[in-house]
Amino acid sequence: MLSVAPWLASPPLSAAGTLYLYNWNNYISDETVKRFEAHCNCRLKQDYYSDNEEMLAKLEAGAVGYDILVPTGNAVESLVRRRALRPIEKAQLPRLNNIKPEFLNAWYDPGNRHSVPYATSVTLLGFNADKMQELGLPTDSWALIFEPKYLERIKGRVTVLNSQRELMAAAMRYLGHSVQEHDPQKWGEAKRLILRAKPYWAAFSNSTYIKDLAIGTIWVAHGYSNDMFRAQQDALAARRPFTIGFATPKEGAVLAVDSFVLHESGRRPDLAHQFIDFMLDGRNAADLSNLIGAGNPNAAAMAHILPGIAANPGIFPPAPDLKRLEMLRDFDPKLRRALSRMWTEIKVR
Amino acid sequence: MTDIRSRPAGLTKWVVTLPPGLFLVVFFLLPTLIVVLAGFRETGEFGGLAPIDGLAGLTLDAYRFLLGDVIYLEIFARSFFVAGLTTLICILLAYPLAWLIARSPKKRRDLLVLLVILPFASNFLVRIYAWIMILGPASLLYTPFAVIVGLVYTHLPFMLLPLYTNLEKHDPALLEAAQDLGAGAWTRFWRVTFPLSLPGIFSGSALVFIPVLGMFAVPELLGGTGDILIGNLIKEQFLDNRDWPLGSALSILLTACVLLLAALAAWAARRGLHGTEAVS
Amino acid sequence: MNKARFWLWAASLAVYAFLYIPLAVVVIFSFNDSMLNAEWAGFTTRWYAKLMHDEDMLRAAANSLLIALMSASIATLLGAMAGLAIHRYRPRWLPFLVLTPVAMPEILLGVSLLLFFRQVLDLSLGLLSILVAHVTFSIGFVAVIVRARLAGMDESIFEAARDLGATPWATFRRVTLPLILPALLAGFLMAFTLSIDDFVITFFVAGVGVNTLPLQIYSMIKVAVTPEVNAVSTLLMALTLTLILTASRFAPDVLKGRA
Repeated sequence: MLSVAPWLASPPLSAAGTLYLYNWNNYISDETVKRFEAHCNCRLKQDYYSDNEEMLAKLEAGAVGYDILVPTGNAVESLVRRRALRPIEKAQLPRLNNIKPEFLNAWYDPGNRHSVPYATSVTLLGFNADKMQELGLPTDSWALIFEPKYLERIKGRVTVLNSQRELMAAAMRYLGHSVQEHDPQKWGEAKRLILRAKPYWAAFSNSTYIKDLAIGTIWVAHGYSNDMFRAQQDALAARRPFTIGFATPKEGAVLAVDSFVLHESGRRPDLAHQFIDFMLDGRNAADLSNLIGAGNPNAAAMAHILPGIAANPGIFPPAPDLKRLEMLRDFDPKLRRALSRMWTEIKVR
Repeated sequence: MTDIRSRPAGLTKWVVTLPPGLFLVVFFLLPTLIVVLAGFRETGEFGGLAPIDGLAGLTLDAYRFLLGDVIYLEIFARSFFVAGLTTLICILLAYPLAWLIARSPKKRRDLLVLLVILPFASNFLVRIYAWIMILGPASLLYTPFAVIVGLVYTHLPFMLLPLYTNLEKHDPALLEAAQDLGAGAWTRFWRVTFPLSLPGIFSGSALVFIPVLGMFAVPELLGGTGDILIGNLIKEQFLDNRDWPLGSALSILLTACVLLLAALAAWAARRGLHGTEAVS
Repeated sequence: MNKARFWLWAASLAVYAFLYIPLAVVVIFSFNDSMLNAEWAGFTTRWYAKLMHDEDMLRAAANSLLIALMSASIATLLGAMAGLAIHRYRPRWLPFLVLTPVAMPEILLGVSLLLFFRQVLDLSLGLLSILVAHVTFSIGFVAVIVRARLAGMDESIFEAARDLGATPWATFRRVTLPLILPALLAGFLMAFTLSIDDFVITFFVAGVGVNTLPLQIYSMIKVAVTPEVNAVSTLLMALTLTLILTASRFAPDVLKGRA
């Protein structure tokens, strides 16, 4: 039952036929895994992280043995600059042209030398649709979580992400600035906006808001489209007397594109390429969207995605919305420290 | 008493001291020194650390940044207050139970101790989520109160067990003697039991107070918008902001504060104990 | 006197209730027929059935239990030595060495150990690295509790034993060990819970494809706490209780304080 192998070596003896994936939690469906294992006649083993930074910190400290990672754009850039990735051999990915052109050749990896887009999400507002209608509140603007005139009617019923980057990015968009802004002054404006709204919020929450929305204790949450989809489904399944909606604010928001990349320490680049090409197949790519309501950069997947999901503008932003979405980008250490100082002030005051 | 200690201890001394000493030097002191040094380095352009470049890259930046800003002092003060409050509540809750267990028939004691620890064989996060389910409907979730409840709950056994092991050894004969001398229940407690249990209280306090300072999950899950401890700040540096030098500097400052406090407490305790010895 | 006893019992029961109320919630909701885990929707055992087929979760639970038992044993041994050494020989450096890991934030400890294992020792990560890490942060807790037990102990009994010609080993076995036994039990239990609960440090030092229960649960909880997580927690507690009760039944007499 318990073999000696896991005590000493990281990849156990069966490694000859095992692909190691370091992935987000619940970011590939069990059925897809089974199908791939049958297809490649190998094992797919996953470890999980719930934040890019967890994964980066672990790799930075020297963890090895992962064939494939699934970082977001800014983390891809960081990994590329640290020379932690193995270049992709496009000849082994005949289905790469399934990817929608707007998701190729992004700033974090020009020419897609290292990354293949897998899934997208938008950081937006989720809300209790019935309550919002009852109170006559606008759900298409960040004003809902930043303007006291709206907030005073939902005081204590709002959560925002416990993430310096995401929350400050939302404030920046509401103020009409770019989330990749370098001017500390403008970030200072965002800080003041947040401090003015903070007394009306219940908590900074990164995960509990899913359940809070579904139960009905929280009416508005700043969070990821996948999570809002989950809250919506949960509320539906539990036959709550209300529905959960979510929408991208008109001022624009943060778009996250998660891609497959090959870690330099991986031992099975052959299986890794096989896996990525397998996942580029429309049907396989669609599984994730159907499972968790993730956006999908794969054009061939659209036909296999449930119509309710494919038509949801919060998950698949229409072209004009897409233009207002921005990706997060890492700053230099000096600005990072300045922003962290602002964030600390936000938490303490 | 003194001549035992001054007797050449020889082999036994090393047999007892070396294994834990060596283990901690190798698996704790050396590894942390590496990261402590990180506090004196510059942040890498893309996070983590700048490449090691001899002593050239060493800088006091992180420390200067922290010490030159009163907001960090404020978080330290606040965390010490929260940790102190948690410790105090733990003492108040743990004392009667530890006392009851220690005075139970010998056969029953182990079972009672086991009952204390059993809930903690489940899982930390599951217990916190259970509290979310309890506090949520009562509208107490996301408040400082919820944070204190969570902190007390997760740390109570670390007060209870040291206190129990200390109280268990007290000689009931002492209390009987005090009773024979006509001392009332309160007097007996304050004059006999309590002073004797001080080492237990000190140990328990150390095992509650210190870990609470580094805690981040409880304030994150149960707290509202203003509940932040040093632990959260440190976590953010490593796992949000990618500023290892700052995270490391914060950790070192925290550890230094704690050790200083421990040294002070030990010194005070020694004085206190000598005091009681002198009285008896 | 009786009044004091009454209050003592009342207070103790209240504390037990405080400890067990969240636990009751966990157990009850492991039988709840709803994904949402928020209100009662009917009785079911399907989460347990699902658990029985969740190979990853069961392996993670087995890993956790094994590591917790081993690390608690080793930490109790080393921690007891440290506690004894501090009490008896008063080396000035040892208390600091023992207390600092307790004070060091766990993220820093996790990152340090990972750096050390990988970049200094070039050790590949697996269960062994988790075990070493868990022992490291548990020793201090055991040492502190053993030291608290010994504090203010009447030294004359050790002296008497020696005067009677007992060897150091015999003194230890016949005098010291029975004296510190409750502390060893308490220390073992503390180290056990520390290990079985640890997420942060384990996250860093766990090798590829090696999972413990907290890692597994954390990855599930992030999405939402399903009752399956409650079910595995319930089973783990039941298993722990059984293990400890069995162990205490078959333990040698000396461990039952009848030496």
